[in-house]
Amino acid sequence: MSSCGKPGHTSRRAFLQTLSAGCAYCAMAPAYAKLLDYKLAASEIAKGTWAVHGANEYFNFDNGGNIVNVAFIEVPDGVVVVDTGPSKRYGEALLALIERTIPGKRVLRVYNTHHHPDHCFGNQVFDRELIAAPQGVIDNLSLEGEGFAENLYRLVGDWMRGTALAIPGIALEASSEEIGGRRFSLYYLSGHTSSDFVVRDDETGVLFTGDLAFMFRTPTTPHADIATWQASISSLDSTDRELIFPGHGPKDVKGESLLQTADYLSWLDGNLRLSVERGLTMNEAMALPIPARFNALSVLRTEYERSVVHLYPQLEDSIWQEVEVTR
Amino acid sequence: MRASNESFLKVSVMNMCQSTKVAQLKRFTLSAANAFLLFSACAFSALSSAAEIPPDPFESVMWKQMVERFFPGEKVVFDSRVIVSAPKSAENQFDVPITVDATALDNVEEIVAVADLNPIPHILSVRPIKALSFVGFRVKLQQGTPIHVGARTADGVWHIGGAYIDAAGGGCTAPAMAHGQNDWMSTLGKTRALTRRESELTARMTLRMRHPMDTGLAAGIPAFFMNKITVSNEAGEAVAELDLYEPVSENPTLTIKPKVGQAAETLQVSARDNEGNEFGFPLVVPGVTAQ
Repeated sequence: MSSCGKPGHTSRRAFLQTLSAGCAYCAMAPAYAKLLDYKLAASEIAKGTWAVHGANEYFNFDNGGNIVNVAFIEVPDGVVVVDTGPSKRYGEALLALIERTIPGKRVLRVYNTHHHPDHCFGNQVFDRELIAAPQGVIDNLSLEGEGFAENLYRLVGDWMRGTALAIPGIALEASSEEIGGRRFSLYYLSGHTSSDFVVRDDETGVLFTGDLAFMFRTPTTPHADIATWQASISSLDSTDRELIFPGHGPKDVKGESLLQTADYLSWLDGNLRLSVERGLTMNEAMALPIPARFNALSVLRTEYERSVVHLYPQLEDSIWQEVEVTR
Repeated sequence: MRASNESFLKVSVMNMCQSTKVAQLKRFTLSAANAFLLFSACAFSALSSAAEIPPDPFESVMWKQMVERFFPGEKVVFDSRVIVSAPKSAENQFDVPITVDATALDNVEEIVAVADLNPIPHILSVRPIKALSFVGFRVKLQQGTPIHVGARTADGVWHIGGAYIDAAGGGCTAPAMAHGQNDWMSTLGKTRALTRRESELTARMTLRMRHPMDTGLAAGIPAFFMNKITVSNEAGEAVAELDLYEPVSENPTLTIKPKVGQAAETLQVSARDNEGNEFGFPLVVPGVTAQ
């Protein structure tokens, strides 16, 4: 394409060649689009239970927002899906992966663990009437979904093409439900957001915690209430299970994701309280050292800095004294 | 001054390199010093008054305009002693924290902060009369933008530091949160604050005053913002003067470092908005022994 540099000096023939080269480039565009491939792979983490792991990263143009854990479960009469990924393209790739892995079985139920965009923007490839979540998740998604979609277009670009908000058609309230011959226990918690939904497959004992548990990945806090989150972690810790499938990171047999998440949140809260008590600016707090024991958590510094912005204003309001103002 | 002079020279060499063709035509008639002025003018295709504008490391398309509007005078130099701390990306475009520390410079008379690509670029100006040349604040951003902060020293030189902040956008044209509450007028000026002694001779004062800080750019909402805060000491002397502008975040949250004596001291804060509402309150800096 370097011949494009000086059109004024080229002969008519060369000019036409340049044009046809341009056309060849246009013809390549669909091929380039094909390169945006999430290359999803499923790994069986329990009998008939497949995990689809994303990168332990923040949103970027390379990962296309595939930074999240999604799962699907073969039940006697079909398939149950937990979370749907960041985009329509991801949703399509997920459906294809399910079809390859469990050929001929229909999706009977899709759960959304919470309203964050990496977990539920693949929704639109599924029948809305199969997608279920607590009313709180539905309300949060209705309120903030459009804004999330806009921001994701900015963060990951073309991967998002065609992605639109799809709100779950079923609001859940029950403590358990049977889907396709399998019973699932349903837990209505909060703390990571104002509505966090946890599902347990009662047959395999896999506990799908959504983002109440992070494994080797720094917890994110844009809608967090730390005290409530810690209470939810305690309650999950005492829930019968064989295996935890966290919202981010590898499967967790021993409950380490709960320990990691609780430890980090406890340090984060204490560190920010101390900073606010010292009157540090947000920028000064962002520059503070993070204890070495958290080095195993990916995206550590970036997520810590984001958390300062999320959590500081509320701490300032609770710690700084109100003064008597004369008008 | 030495470091800044060096960077100034480096800049001038770069300009001359970019303008070699012009240089060949003109050099023989001009002294080296005059040549520099002329070549810079060519490179920036600018007025002669802008001849000494150094290239912007943040590559802002608005840099020349920022200098002409906000850093006028004889000399502008980029200076690593003006430390501007800001996040790389704005997590909340309505509340982006920025901290300026120019305490390594002597005789700073004024600190001016601008967001080049904001519809209203001027964020604030601070005169740290009896305070350290340090200020923390939060800002609304309309889009990703370079931030420039100039610290003007007594010799009239603007020492510039900066940062680039990516942002989702829309921070300046959305209505303030206050307009979602019926009682926002009654909470106007309500303040939370923290005052601590940092050393034998300095204190840290951080405060948040309730105010919508309307930019005038949200549909149907006129500009309404806190525009002046003065901190004075018991002798009635000004400690610091802050001029705030529309981009300062709703409920302005500000941190400064007043110079104080060793005894406990009461500092008086007076604030005023552009509709003439006035607010005042005292803040006590504890004595050395009290901490």
